[in-house]
Amino acid sequence: MLMISPRMASGVQEKQYTPSLLSFFVYNPTFGPQEGEEEKKILFYHPSDVEKNEKIRNVGLCEAIVQFTRTFCPTRPAKSLHTQKNRQFFFEPENNFWTVMVVRNPMIEKPSKDGKPPTTEYQEEEVLDTVYSAVLKECYSMYKLFNGTFGRAMEAGGVELLTQKLEKFFYRYLQTLHLQSCDLLDVFGGISFFPLDKMTYLKIQSFVNRVEESLSLIKYTAFLYNDQLIWSGLEQDDMRILYKYLTTSLFPRHSEPELAGRDSPLRPEVAGNLLHYGRFLTGPANLKDPEAKFRFPKIFVSAEGGYEELHLIVYKAMSAAACFMISASVELTREFCEQLDGLVGPQLTLLASDICEQFTINRRISGPEKEPQFKFIYFNHMNLAEKSTIHMRKTASVCLTSVHPDLMKILGDINCDFARVDEDEEIIVKAMTDYWVVGKKSDQRELYVILNQKNANLIEVNEEVKRLCATQFNNIFFLD
Amino acid sequence: MERDSHQEGEAQVVKNCDPPSDCVPTAETLATSLSLLGNHMFPDPVEKNDSTSVDKEEHATLHQSKVTQKEQHLDAESHSNQVNKLEAEETENSEYQNNESTKSVDRDAEDAGTDNDQSESGEFVVAMLAKAKLEEQGIGVKGRSSLLLEAGTQEPAAFMSHRDEDVTADSWRQHRKHVFVLSEAGKPIYSRYGSEEALSSTMGVMMALVSFVQSGDNIIRSVYSEGHTVVFLQKGPLVLVCVSSSRQSEQQLREELLYVYYQIISMLTQASISRIFEHKKNYDLRRLLAGSEKILDGLLNLVDSDPSFLLAAVHCLPLASSLRDSISQILQKAITPNLVFSILIAKNQLLTIVQEKTVIEDTRLEPTDIHLLLNLIGASSAFQAGEIWTPICLPLFNPDCYFYAYISYLDPPECTVCLLLLSTDKEAFYAVAECKRKIEEAMVAQNSLSLIAKAQSYSVSQVGVSDLRHFMYKPFDVPDNYRQLTQFTSPEMEAPYSSEEEKMRLLDLYRYMHSRIHSTSRPLKLIYQVAERETLLAWVTSKFELYTCFSPLVTKACAITAITKLLRWIKKEEDRLFIRYPPKYSTTTNPSKSSRGGKSDQQDSTDNGFLSLL
Repeated sequence: MLMISPRMASGVQEKQYTPSLLSFFVYNPTFGPQEGEEEKKILFYHPSDVEKNEKIRNVGLCEAIVQFTRTFCPTRPAKSLHTQKNRQFFFEPENNFWTVMVVRNPMIEKPSKDGKPPTTEYQEEEVLDTVYSAVLKECYSMYKLFNGTFGRAMEAGGVELLTQKLEKFFYRYLQTLHLQSCDLLDVFGGISFFPLDKMTYLKIQSFVNRVEESLSLIKYTAFLYNDQLIWSGLEQDDMRILYKYLTTSLFPRHSEPELAGRDSPLRPEVAGNLLHYGRFLTGPANLKDPEAKFRFPKIFVSAEGGYEELHLIVYKAMSAAACFMISASVELTREFCEQLDGLVGPQLTLLASDICEQFTINRRISGPEKEPQFKFIYFNHMNLAEKSTIHMRKTASVCLTSVHPDLMKILGDINCDFARVDEDEEIIVKAMTDYWVVGKKSDQRELYVILNQKNANLIEVNEEVKRLCATQFNNIFFLD
Repeated sequence: MERDSHQEGEAQVVKNCDPPSDCVPTAETLATSLSLLGNHMFPDPVEKNDSTSVDKEEHATLHQSKVTQKEQHLDAESHSNQVNKLEAEETENSEYQNNESTKSVDRDAEDAGTDNDQSESGEFVVAMLAKAKLEEQGIGVKGRSSLLLEAGTQEPAAFMSHRDEDVTADSWRQHRKHVFVLSEAGKPIYSRYGSEEALSSTMGVMMALVSFVQSGDNIIRSVYSEGHTVVFLQKGPLVLVCVSSSRQSEQQLREELLYVYYQIISMLTQASISRIFEHKKNYDLRRLLAGSEKILDGLLNLVDSDPSFLLAAVHCLPLASSLRDSISQILQKAITPNLVFSILIAKNQLLTIVQEKTVIEDTRLEPTDIHLLLNLIGASSAFQAGEIWTPICLPLFNPDCYFYAYISYLDPPECTVCLLLLSTDKEAFYAVAECKRKIEEAMVAQNSLSLIAKAQSYSVSQVGVSDLRHFMYKPFDVPDNYRQLTQFTSPEMEAPYSSEEEKMRLLDLYRYMHSRIHSTSRPLKLIYQVAERETLLAWVTSKFELYTCFSPLVTKACAITAITKLLRWIKKEEDRLFIRYPPKYSTTTNPSKSSRGGKSDQQDSTDNGFLSLL
């Protein structure tokens, strides 16, 4: 991504480049043990048009780095390599399978006078290891969600099948990575929960129970409102990656029709069915279409003794979305989908408007919105609950934060500091811009606050954070 | 003379049989070795890669080992010889000096394009060899022989244990911080733990990584694993690598490598190292550094345990300003032409430093140079007897030329007060030794030594703030018209930081605060950290930087009050805690430049920025 810096003091324009993906590859050092066979180790390489020897060289470097660090600790090899121009991140998700992501450091291009080529200055300290290591891990988790493990593909069809699957998945997935907007939230990989009163929560729970009872094929259910989670029957780690997929990929792709006016041609046919607003986000776009296919994406989640393969049905009515997961061994038919549509559609529509009403009431009680003196990020490691008032909207392509990127990086630094020791800690820092940033770690919870009052002193900052914890967090702790 | 010609012949042989061109693994061959690395188990391929040059290498080593043996032999002799009083042998000594000067090459001539190997090795080694030769000839030893050889052979037991470590053992891996120095050709120069020979393949890999990344028009900086940080630093023809399991920042580890580099420079000069490797890329620098491992070991131990290096500031011995002034005056009076620095060290801390006027006008002595000098003296007990005259380079002052250092303890046998006189004149030994005698006399007359003996570091309890456990304070505003040496003050570490582990833990906390507050990309003004075992506050203003450690239960209001009190206390005590007005003398014949030198009594009453910033 290229940004033209507003700094034009000297009359010459500086070009500023944000971090970007240079390459991404997957290799297995045991696959080409003979000299001259090195190419066999490489299972996937992006960009694909890199010359063969160059690929081999780059994989060779990674192997050498990993081996080298084993000299000093055989069990915990290298995780990242820093060079002047880029950072490389290593992750071995399965035995001998290595995934590597190479990120170019941000840089500033300064045109020089006298027609000389422009000078490039790399900003070597801008990329946070924790953030991009998390992004790399997420790449693998996302692959695994839709394909199962690398080992599974190897068992099913050997190297050939695995390379096909990698090619098919990463070709598209890597295009959706937006490295310039990654930050602390990627490290947490948390789930935003929808705050709810007990009555409404019980209504949703009973809805889930009724549906699961009537449609016994359904194995797991998840319920979201406004891109926030309310109920999930999945394991936490599976839900975390599914949540990521839903909120950054699936939902954004389907939001446009709903935002469009009632009479807009974009709006899908609610075709005679005026009883509800429910529709499938995966599977058939229109049940009435005789050509409709009843194929749903398959996902892999952990189960006792391994993983299980499931159909993923995502069904949405207004702002409420329900995910139903059914064993992949069952073939899903038109009848089943019609039955589900008939049962879930009206109830979900009703539920969605109930929640909306509750939400508006709650909002009114909490008083008129005024610009708060602080912005915060909260994360709970126990239930993965995350809340940010810093991020206005976070999707795969856009991440709008309301604070300066340097402050976001200070949050990242404090997060690293917390990881050093397994103790409760509080860190208050004053940035060069005079903003105060507060990090608190207690038990499994982390809270990061950025204060807008530049002239405050340490004691005033302390008071402000105390007030924030007292007011804002009664709600959130309720969810634990 | 026989030995000398032998040495020269040696150099020739080594040179002829080992032309640099075909022994330097190029980036390309190393690249192949990298891809080989994957196929075979590490580190065989590197050895394999090296094997092309092994034959020639062996030649060189053979010749080399002869030299080494001879040197060791000589050294043993020097030990067996009783060290005689210097004054008694003026005649021999002048002969020695003549010898030295005839053989020495002109160090000032930077373009010395001579093929003589000795010129490459620099003045320093010339002096070493000259002394060794004299010893061989049975001429009385002046003071001691080469201090570096001496340093290496003293206390062989402790010295050997690190070098002999099994580099495949867990205990080797578990060292907190490894440091390696190698040449661009991948030749080992130094390893903190384990012998260079045993680690030659590991160091080969390090060099392979450096050159591989370089071949892609890029520079390797560091490698991170869960438990370790590996930092690479390339300085001229040397590559320095640190493998640390401490949680220090990359920046700090790189600074530490830089100290190691400078310490090597202080022994050989940057110019001579460049010259050596220009002539012969495959040169084994250990030949010149033989015996100096202990100095590097000592430096690394100091770097780990002494915050002076972290703060890049000098910790001076707290002393009543009247006493410090009177001692400074003694130094000020004992001068001789070309004397540039007179430094007095007590209990391994700086007591006073007097500088030549014109020197102080242009540049000031950097803390780094002082640290290196202090380490040099501390690392070797060789200095404790007699007088030393040795070439030494102050890398920050001028990396390419030597000073001549006169080192002598004033209080044998306790050896806590050390005098260090630096001259630019290689021949000035007698004149400088005469200065020492004057200083000694004056100090006896004033009873200075016993007064110095009473001086000691202070306790934090003297500040009188109950929750304050420890602090480090580094002012930027020591009268700035004096271009003063950067200093800091800090009390003794007391309970709960009395054990070695706890001391290290507190230092690590300071290091962490330091790295965050001085982050290159995101510096901060203030950090306040509350943890389970202590509360820490780090604060940088335009006037000072301060690191404080409180008990964990201190409130923020109490901490701020405590800091106000602390700053007031330091202000009150600053004449005792710091060298306030560095005295000067003039030893040049033309003192006209020293116009700015007059001592001003201007007290700095500037506000310390406290109210505006906290």
